[in-house]
This record gives sequence, structure tokens and C-alpha cells, in this order.
Amino acid sequence: MHTLNILIMGFISIVIVNNLVFTKFLGICPYLGVSGRIDMAFGMGMAVTFVVTLSGTLTWLIDHLILMPYGLEVTRYVCFILVIAGAVQLVEMYIRRFFPSLYDSFGIFLPLITTNCAILGLCLFINLYGIDNLVEAVVLSFGAGIGFTMAICIMAGIRETLDMADVPACLKGAPITLITAGLLALAFMGFAGMIRIG
Amino acid sequence: MILSSILQLWNSAWPAGVTMLGLGSGFALVLLIASIKLKVVVDPKIEQIHEALPNLDCGACGFAGCGQYAKAILANPELLGKCAPGGPDTAAAIANILNLQVSDSGPQQRPIVHCRAHTADKTFLAKYQGISSCTAANALANAQACKFGCVGLSDCTRACRFDALHIVDGLATVDYAKCTGCTACSKACPRNLIEMVPFSHENMMTVACNSKETGKSTRSMCKVGCIGCGICAKQTDTFAVEDNIARMDYTRYQESEQTQTAMDKCPTGVILYRGPTAPPPREPGKKPAPAKKAD
Repeated sequence: MHTLNILIMGFISIVIVNNLVFTKFLGICPYLGVSGRIDMAFGMGMAVTFVVTLSGTLTWLIDHLILMPYGLEVTRYVCFILVIAGAVQLVEMYIRRFFPSLYDSFGIFLPLITTNCAILGLCLFINLYGIDNLVEAVVLSFGAGIGFTMAICIMAGIRETLDMADVPACLKGAPITLITAGLLALAFMGFAGMIRIG
Repeated sequence: MILSSILQLWNSAWPAGVTMLGLGSGFALVLLIASIKLKVVVDPKIEQIHEALPNLDCGACGFAGCGQYAKAILANPELLGKCAPGGPDTAAAIANILNLQVSDSGPQQRPIVHCRAHTADKTFLAKYQGISSCTAANALANAQACKFGCVGLSDCTRACRFDALHIVDGLATVDYAKCTGCTACSKACPRNLIEMVPFSHENMMTVACNSKETGKSTRSMCKVGCIGCGICAKQTDTFAVEDNIARMDYTRYQESEQTQTAMDKCPTGVILYRGPTAPPPREPGKKPAPAKKAD
């Protein structure tokens, strides 16, 4: 019961309270770049969720089975980047094979998941939070992906409506998007301190 | 001393190297297997056709983008020649890739705006203050008296990907030097004012009005509208009057003395040239040149 409680709390915490996009401002480039339409934003969110779950799990395993026992923590960044790049390649091949239209609409943004700082950030945070349990690591990485999907979908929904709005000429385009992002982050600050991890 | 420090460095560095090498080869193996299992066979011709296309993704061909059009051409070569911005050169290049002969598709299509009324020539019944869009303005009861002419709220300008259409003093004006004939503007215009015309000559003569009102009411609303008098149709049969509006028959387009006379005699000056080097039309309200007496 205690374990389950920790898992649920960890999940809610990473999705809402410690959302990587809203509180850590990680993964901003796809968050602003692919949030024009809600269906594409959802696709992007799903791809990131898959990659982050896979790489979060793998990096935890590598960290705990190889790097820590042999005192090789210095190579953590390089190893993690390697894992993420490999996972992204795998996802790219998979999407190209089974969802060609999604592949076309992603274009350059799919390989760019490799450099999505939210993913590397999460892999490092798992270590920083001192997670020493594989299941917790999996739940946290999956939650981070869900949190990112939620953030990017909210943003896409707002931006779709924003297209109809009468925005002052000097704020059209990027400025109003950044203001929206800031306001959203502020709104999610309301959850801060509800749950603490680590 | 130096040797021992080098040895120490080596001793602490090699496990990291071995780990990286091991991890790297492990991932390489996984990716290798995946690339074999998830292989997507792409016909190299699709890539070649895509490169031959202008890559503007303008949608003139009816597909979402150049990539989709390239795939469609390969599946069905009859779709060749639908790329308006590329024109005959692109069609020939693609035909070359597919080992096909391309037939001459005739002159390129360019848009002609069937209205010549600037703000000063129009009559307004009210001031439109709604959403700044032709489609929205067109859906309301007309603030502008003429319900056929150019609204001038830039739907076509926004549709144009090539900066080739501008609203000049209340009238959509095509910049033929920049136009690629992609048909986006003619689809965007809610009043169907913009017609795609095969430009067989550099400048094309046209009737720049779309008003199907009777001559009298057209005159009451617009200084430069076509009143359907039929003087042009009497001069030459390339003009025909139907629904109170004269139209040029572009399938039989030619410039002759008769068409020139028709243009000169037009009482409202609505017959004019459109094109990259078109001469300016007659001033609105100016009477036609007096008919030349036979000497």
C-alpha cells in the first residue's frame, strides 16, 4: 500500500506539481514549435512520452547496474545522450513504418526530440531525486511524458483559439505565445509545494 | 614519476572507455536489427521528383504538399503538369525522370481580377466595421453597394504565398512579375472575381467587371462597371454579353483591330489590358474616344 501510494504521488507530482515544462522550463523548443495544432501537438506528446519512458528506464538501469557499481558517474551525461539518441532513432523508424502521415507532419521535429532537454533533464532528475527503485523510475519517466503531452496540448488548444482573437499588431506571433506560456506556468505555480519529492 | 601518473590516468580512464564502447555497440546492434525489421522501401524516383518540384507546398496541384504530389505522380502519371509554380520546365523535368513525353500544355494560367473599381469609383451604403475579411463582409448585407465587385479586405492577399497580390486603393491588384499561377487567390475570393486565364499574350484584354445587375443599376453603384450595352459584341464575336455582363472568350483570344475598337468604344472603359506591362486603363468617367470618321 505504501509503495502504491508513493507511485501515485510521484506520478501526480511529476505531471502537475513538478511539470518539466511549467516549473523547470525544459523542452521549450517543441513546446513552442509544434503547438500550432492540437492533433500534431498530441502526436508530438505521444512520441516524447514513448522516448522519455524508454530512455528514463534504460538510463536508470545503466546508471544502477553499470555506472554506479564501477564508479563511472562522470560518463553519465554521455551515456544518457547515447540512450536518448538511440531511442529516438528507434521511434523514428517505427513511426515512419507504421504512421507515414504523422512522420510527414513531424518533419524535422522528430529527430529533434534527441535534443529535447526535457528528456535528458528527466533522466538526470531521476538520479537527483535519488530514486532507487526501477518501478518508481518507470512511473516517473512515464509521468514526465504525460506531463509534457498535457502542457503542449493545453498550449495548442490556447493557440488555436488565439488565432481568432484580436491581438495587438505588436504582440502577434511569438510575443503573445511567450506571454501565454508565462501565464500558463504561473497558473501551474498554484500547485507548487503540494507534493514534494526527494 | 611522469610514467606513473600516465599509468594512473590510463587505469582510471580505460573502464569508462570500455563501458562507452560496450554501450555504443549494444545500441548499434539494436538499431541495426530495427533498421532491417522496420525498413521502408522508398522508390528513389519519389525523391528525384520531389527535388524537381519547387518545394513551395502551395497546394495548387490539389495535394497537401510537394511530397504528396511527388508520390501521386509516380502512382498516376496523368497528374503531371499540375504544378503551377513550376510550370512547363518542372513538368518536363519530371517527365524526364519518368521516361515520359510531356505534351505542350499551352500558355501559363494567370489570374485576372474582374473588377476595376477603386475606392473612389465605388458607392457605399454604409461603413463596414466588422471582421476584416472579404468572406465575413460578403456574408452580410452589402455595405458596399455593388455585391459583385472587389471587397478589398485582403482574403486573396492572405492566400497568396508569393506576395504577388495587393489591395491597391480598395482593389485587388496582381503583381504579374511575382505571380506563379498557383490559383490560391481565385479559390480564396468569396465573390469569384479572380479567373485563371491562359496568358497567350503578354498582356490580355479583359472585361474588368463582374456585375450582373442591369446597366442602370450598375451605373448607379459604380463609375466603371460593365453595363452590358453590347457595343463590344457588335465589333467582334470574341466578346459576348450574357447576364448584363460582357465576357471575353479566352479560347479564341486574339488581338485585332476589332478588339481594339471595342476597347476604345466601351462607354465605361471597363475593357482593359491586364498583365505585367499593361497600359493604364482609361480614366474612370472619361468618355470614349470619338469614333473615327472615315476620311
